[in-house]
Amino acid sequence: MLFVLDSNEYIFAFGLRKKPSSEKLLDVILETLPEHSLRIPRMIVEEVGRHLTSEEYREFIEFITNITNIDEDIFVPFELGARYESVGLKPADAFIAAYVEWTGADALVTENRHFLQHRSDLPFKVLTAEGCLRYIISTKNE
Amino acid sequence: MTKANVRKARLHLDKLRHLVSRKKTPLSGMREEDVIEEIRKTREEIWDKKLALRP
Repeated sequence: MLFVLDSNEYIFAFGLRKKPSSEKLLDVILETLPEHSLRIPRMIVEEVGRHLTSEEYREFIEFITNITNIDEDIFVPFELGARYESVGLKPADAFIAAYVEWTGADALVTENRHFLQHRSDLPFKVLTAEGCLRYIISTKNE
Repeated sequence: MTKANVRKARLHLDKLRHLVSRKKTPLSGMREEDVIEEIRKTREEIWDKKLALRP
């Protein structure tokens, strides 16, 4: 399964503010690669980077580029973002939704309630880290 | 993307977590909802900056 983790999940998973489910999820994805994998846009890399020191940022880049590519934002078709704005997402969130669709990911993992409120309008799953862990366990038992 | 290097990724993730654990971050004392809101603000700022740079 392919996932896009929102910036809040990385922030929590790295321990900038403790959240065990986010930490656990990143560990599980890392342990189960390539069965579960990640995609990440430049936008999320920049958002996470804003909360890291330069030394931490270097480690983040080394970490992420050892498991996936960083996709440039410009690759994502503008029309896709506009569609998500029309369902009520703010432009920046609409871009992330468009990115998830463009990658064909199974789910966006986020603690952002704005995405979670719109989950019925979106063509992919929107899960919290805890929900994603449950989802991974449930699909493993199928 | 060439083949994922999980071992290297693990080393860098562990080092990153270690670096973060040594300091008190502005986010560490905040409520979860406030952290999410703070990260949303960062998203909006970056987005506005990207739009401003567009030709």
